[in-house]
Amino acid sequence: MDDKRNALLTVGLICAVLFILGIADLCNSDRIYSETENRVLAPRPTFSWESLLSGEYGDDYEEYMSDQFVGRDKWVGIKTRADILFQKKEINGVYLGADRYLIGVNDPQEYTEQMEDSRIASLKKLVNRWDAKVMLVPTADNILTDKLPAFAPHYDEMRLLAKVKESVGEEHYIDVYSALQEHAGEPIYYRTDHHWTSLGAYYGFLAWADNMGKFPYPYNMAGMKTVSEDFQGTLQSRINVAWTKDRIQYFPETEKKPVSITYDFADKADSLYAPEYLETKNQYGFFLNDNHAFIEIHTGYNPGKTLFVIKDSYANSMIPLLAAHYETIYVVDLRYFNGKLFQLMEQYEPEQGMDVLVLYDCIHFLEDFRFY
Amino acid sequence: MVFSSVLFLFRFLPIFMICYFLVPRNMKNLVLFLGSLVFYAWGEPVYIFLMLFSTISDFVWGRLIEEYRGEDRSRIFLLCSVVINLFILGFFKYADFLLQTVNTVFGTSIPLLGLPLPIGISFYTFQTMSYVIDVYRGDTKAQRNILQFGVYVTMFPQLIAGPILKYHQIEKYLQERRSDLDAISYGAKRFVTGLAKKVLLANNLGLLWTQISSLKNDQMSVLMAWIGIVAYAFQIYFDFSGYSDMAIGLGAILGFHFPENFNYPYIATSVTDFWHRWHISLSTWFKEYVYIPLGGNRKGLARQILNILIVWTLTGIWHGAGWNFLFWGLWFALFLILEKLFLGELLKNAPVVFGRVYTLTVVLISWVFFALEKPGEILAYLQAMFGLNGVGLMNTQAMFLGNEYLVLLIIALVACLPVGSLLIHRLKSSKTGPAMALYRVGEKVIPAALLILSVAYIVDASYNPFLYFRF
Repeated sequence: MDDKRNALLTVGLICAVLFILGIADLCNSDRIYSETENRVLAPRPTFSWESLLSGEYGDDYEEYMSDQFVGRDKWVGIKTRADILFQKKEINGVYLGADRYLIGVNDPQEYTEQMEDSRIASLKKLVNRWDAKVMLVPTADNILTDKLPAFAPHYDEMRLLAKVKESVGEEHYIDVYSALQEHAGEPIYYRTDHHWTSLGAYYGFLAWADNMGKFPYPYNMAGMKTVSEDFQGTLQSRINVAWTKDRIQYFPETEKKPVSITYDFADKADSLYAPEYLETKNQYGFFLNDNHAFIEIHTGYNPGKTLFVIKDSYANSMIPLLAAHYETIYVVDLRYFNGKLFQLMEQYEPEQGMDVLVLYDCIHFLEDFRFY
Repeated sequence: MVFSSVLFLFRFLPIFMICYFLVPRNMKNLVLFLGSLVFYAWGEPVYIFLMLFSTISDFVWGRLIEEYRGEDRSRIFLLCSVVINLFILGFFKYADFLLQTVNTVFGTSIPLLGLPLPIGISFYTFQTMSYVIDVYRGDTKAQRNILQFGVYVTMFPQLIAGPILKYHQIEKYLQERRSDLDAISYGAKRFVTGLAKKVLLANNLGLLWTQISSLKNDQMSVLMAWIGIVAYAFQIYFDFSGYSDMAIGLGAILGFHFPENFNYPYIATSVTDFWHRWHISLSTWFKEYVYIPLGGNRKGLARQILNILIVWTLTGIWHGAGWNFLFWGLWFALFLILEKLFLGELLKNAPVVFGRVYTLTVVLISWVFFALEKPGEILAYLQAMFGLNGVGLMNTQAMFLGNEYLVLLIIALVACLPVGSLLIHRLKSSKTGPAMALYRVGEKVIPAALLILSVAYIVDASYNPFLYFRF
């Protein structure tokens, strides 16, 4: 009798897991988008005899079930905890670094010489035509090397930057690598997000001013204002366990004079910041209202001076610092802009000319920098 | 459909089991047959007709063979059946391989067929062949009930990755079987163990192998190459034996008794021993239906060597249509022959550790042929393993990956050894209170925990390969 009860309990427990989760999953409604994973989830496939016979329906259905499975985010968290238990230091493309730093993995295998050369060739075209300045920001894995797990491989951005510098010429190359390396001990990158912090952007700004031969606007580091203390960025989403919380800060001097901004030729705003994003998962969107194809900024500074920025999201936290140096700033994000770049630039170039700045992090530069 | 998917675990399995246990005894085969068709059709709707054709064809041949037993015709029917089976297998699995070979040798450019390989075809054609041969030999009566025969061929637990059932092993269960609570409890535990082996160990170590095998040659240090091939050895073992465990477990739940397919192969003391422990259902299939009919070892040494070469050529290409698989089979034939000639005797008199090291070395090198397909890649990898590529003993990437997977590799190593089952056996057979209590709690908590952990890895899987698409 005792044996029978035992067997029954063993089977019962396993069945309970399968049936309870199965039923819970049936009652679970589908989501279109996962905020934590930052991606669109597979929808229920539409049925057709054709897709059924080709086996496509079956495959899509499996993907759909896995993507929409009940408590998906929790399962990702359980997996991460198990990985941590197995002493893994790299989980879902994120290094678990020292000092609670999460650092995005950039696999050296993934970025080929060919890729580098083709991007640099495009860059050179832009620099030659527009006398542009180039500022490629190294990612955290290259600067916070002491925080990386032991022996962790990472793509060598120093080598890329040396190639860029040689190709575009020293006068066009802004050395933000050395600037950041000098301050590697300070919180210049977020712990849970792949972006640099406002402090990192500030050091980038100083490097820019130095290269431009400008006297930098005197921002006060001690006076930085904190707008959020519970930021959990994209890297945290990938591992999906409680890790740590970041602080988002900005320089209040950037709000001294009124600005007028137009996003994508339509939406008007009067601040470089969008506090509504602080209530969402994507708090980094606070800077420049997240990503837009085209932004037009008018400031009360330096009449007649114009800057044209070609950028990725790293620039969002640095452009506010540049505002004090230009009356007008145009910003284009090539990932969202499909038109002809040079045509657009010619259209907006004032008679007295404009400064042009290419501002990317090294990885997005390799992945996304292309224009028509 | 594969076992390690949300769809199988939370839709197919519960629905199937409810139906199976609710219907009366005489309907169980029907439910199992229909369930198996749904299972198979999910990924391969069209090839289901091929499988059904194979089923009906061999059902008919079996009847005819029995009908004309003792006459010449019976021999011809057997031949027909075997030729049809081999033709199906040859056409779907080897046609492109042969065409490609012809094209390379004669410089022709005959277009390839490009047919996807029907999943499980190597398994079920071997099962139906085992049936007609068993009938021909009079080892068994021909099946009168097409449903029972259909269940034998299409049964979903072992349909896509074995173990390969021989008809005489399973015949009595097709007609009459009982699922008692003990068998169900055993089966459920066995299934979950297999699932965990596949999802937690094989998939994760497979990730390591994928990372390492995709490295460029100039980054492949000696340490890296060995970590890589050890990871692959673990991956293929836990993947394959995990599938077998799941099949055996599901079989037990349904009232069958499937034969074991693996018996701690990596503790083998010789290559001969290894093949008594690895994919047992395949090696015994070849032994029963090819090696012994060819005369086995009864016709002198020369003939035995020839027989070994034939069997291992077949075993090699059974695993995939490619030269590397052929070479892989012959590599084992070489050592099996050497062991027959003198090495076996030598090993018997040496300390056991020699045999183990020698066997593991032979097996690990064989996995290089198995895992990589192009001769250039294979050669480069072997060079790396023996430090001939000039990269050196180790590099930082090897250190990182070694560190990263150390715990998992140790767990995998322990799981390869019979310590777990020894421990369970000790606890179970001890009469003391605490040990018994420990066992009782463990047998309930551990499977449930493994199941939940496996689900977490399946849901968050960017990597869940199916290794048998070549078989």
